Amino acid sequence: MGAKTIAIETCELHKVYRKHLGRKGKPTLAGLNLQIFENEIYGFLGKNGAGKTTTIKMLCGLMKPDSGSARILGQKVPSRDARKLVGYLPENPYFYEYLTPKETLTFYGRLRGLSAKERAREWDRLSLDLDLRDIADQRVRGFSKGMRQRLGFAVALVGNPPIVILDEPMSGLDPMGRRRIRDLIVRLRDEKKTVFFSSHVLSDVELISDRVGMLVNGRLHRQGVMDDLLATRVQLVEVVARGLEPHVAQEIARTAFRTRHSEESDHFSFSDMDQANAAAAEVLAHGARLIEFSPVRESLEDYFVREQVQVEVGV
Amino acid sequence: MRTLTVALNTYREAVRDKILYVLLFFAGATILASKALGYISMGQDVKIIADISLAAISIFGALIAIFVGTNLVYKEIDKRTIYTILSQPMWRYEFVLGKYLGLAMLIGTTTGLMGFGAAAYLWILGGAVNAAYFEALFLIYCKLLLVTGLSVLMSTITSPILGAIIVLTAYFLGHATGILLELPGHFDGTLSKQALEAAYYVVPNLGNFDIWREYANGVAVPHSYVAWAAAYGAIYTVMLLFFAAVAFQDKDV
Ligand SMILES: Nc1ncnc2c1ncn2[C@@H]1O[C@H](COP(=O)(O)OP(=O)(O)OP(=O)(O)O)[C@@H](O)[C@H]1O
Ligand SMILES: [Mg+2]
Repeated sequence: MGAKTIAIETCELHKVYRKHLGRKGKPTLAGLNLQIFENEIYGFLGKNGAGKTTTIKMLCGLMKPDSGSARILGQKVPSRDARKLVGYLPENPYFYEYLTPKETLTFYGRLRGLSAKERAREWDRLSLDLDLRDIADQRVRGFSKGMRQRLGFAVALVGNPPIVILDEPMSGLDPMGRRRIRDLIVRLRDEKKTVFFSSHVLSDVELISDRVGMLVNGRLHRQGVMDDLLATRVQLVEVVARGLEPHVAQEIARTAFRTRHSEESDHFSFSDMDQANAAAAEVLAHGARLIEFSPVRESLEDYFVREQVQVEVGV
Repeated sequence: MRTLTVALNTYREAVRDKILYVLLFFAGATILASKALGYISMGQDVKIIADISLAAISIFGALIAIFVGTNLVYKEIDKRTIYTILSQPMWRYEFVLGKYLGLAMLIGTTTGLMGFGAAAYLWILGGAVNAAYFEALFLIYCKLLLVTGLSVLMSTITSPILGAIIVLTAYFLGHATGILLELPGHFDGTLSKQALEAAYYVVPNLGNFDIWREYANGVAVPHSYVAWAAAYGAIYTVMLLFFAAVAFQDKDV
């Protein structure tokens, strides 16, 4: 594998919001360093108020850091050249209420400098992908959360930018809507785009991200390839056997930390992979059937909560 | 192109603003009612109607500029529609300029409507609707463009309420710049005197744009004066828009 190209890079970003009368509060960002590679899906985590939106706004040129810098595909941020490369979906996107989705996409297409022909092509493509055709001529005013989110996505993708930055793209969506967004994000990666997104829906982040980073106290607290972060933490292994002699079952149960017996099968839970393996060998050696052997790894949510708690109690 | 896109959209949005119709209604009512005042000052009615009509166009136009203008950029930040706009590959000054031009177009439309309405009314009542009338109308529009510029500047840096108060104050001072120099003698050399004197040179003299009284009284105003006043307004307006763009350039939204 060759060296990966860096798509988004931040260097020592600092930001303190001023409270009333110019008093400084606690820093929101305190030296944030991020490196997002090209063509990856990067999940950006952090609890409420951690500074995810602040970081994203800086990357999209809406806000300036107090100090530090950022680059997008080599272009310094904020700059027009950097903004050209980025499609952005804000947290709860807002659009002109009196425009229809079609007019909205025309408006943003114009701002992106697309010709009338290109704008028509973008509408065809995005209205199909995001299912906007039925509501093409309704005003945004009456739109539900899901409809607004879809329109927001279409706006982010207008002009086909190579970098897509999404602030909580699944928040407030129903299961179908979330799945659709997940599929779309994965498809963006297939199209060789880079996706940087923040989310609190950790089950979704876990499903689609290549890497995740966790923002704590204004810095990147943990970062890594999803599989590395979670695979090392097998929490427990479930072993299910059928047709075990009761005395063998009892034998195995001694090493398990939890046992459950149902009419046809025995369930054992092990906290240790080696013990689970030994138990499986035992099951087979006694001519019984092994019907399940499943290591249950820690979920991203467990990981997130554990890390957050550790920081807060100061471990 | 991007500026024009923002401008057209601003126009489209502002046309939907209810305050616009309220103000237009009052302007129309004032123009029609001017005939009643004309009766009182016997034999002078056409003159009075011309005077009141153009004054109404000027004042209601300014109110539109102030109440719509001071909201313009602020509203986009407040309603967060600005996020997806400023993150596009456009310059921030293009956004500010687009907002300004959209409102300038709208005020052009309303001034045109009121102006031609009043002209028709005057003509029916036997008044002289001539080049001088349209020159007076043109300078009113120049003044409104300046007031719009100041309103847009305020909307990039402060809330609509405070902005409206500041622009209204500037509007009244601008029509009475003379009083800034009329502090009694014993204030000579004091700080307040100096501040007022400074204000005299900073606040544009909006009286320069008011030639409707001359028109109403049939006094000729040279074309060169009209050109000079228009240039005076243009310089102020460009300066105000420049400040608005600078104020907006590094603003966190
Ligand atoms: N415009 C602002 N003015 C003052 N403080 C702000 C502003 N925006 C954000 N903050 C503060 O900065 C901190 C980080 O906010 P930010 O919105 O970046 O967090 P977040 O990680 O996106 O949170 P969430 O998950 O709730 O969306 C919070 O403490 C917030 O109160
Ligand atoms: Mg946020």
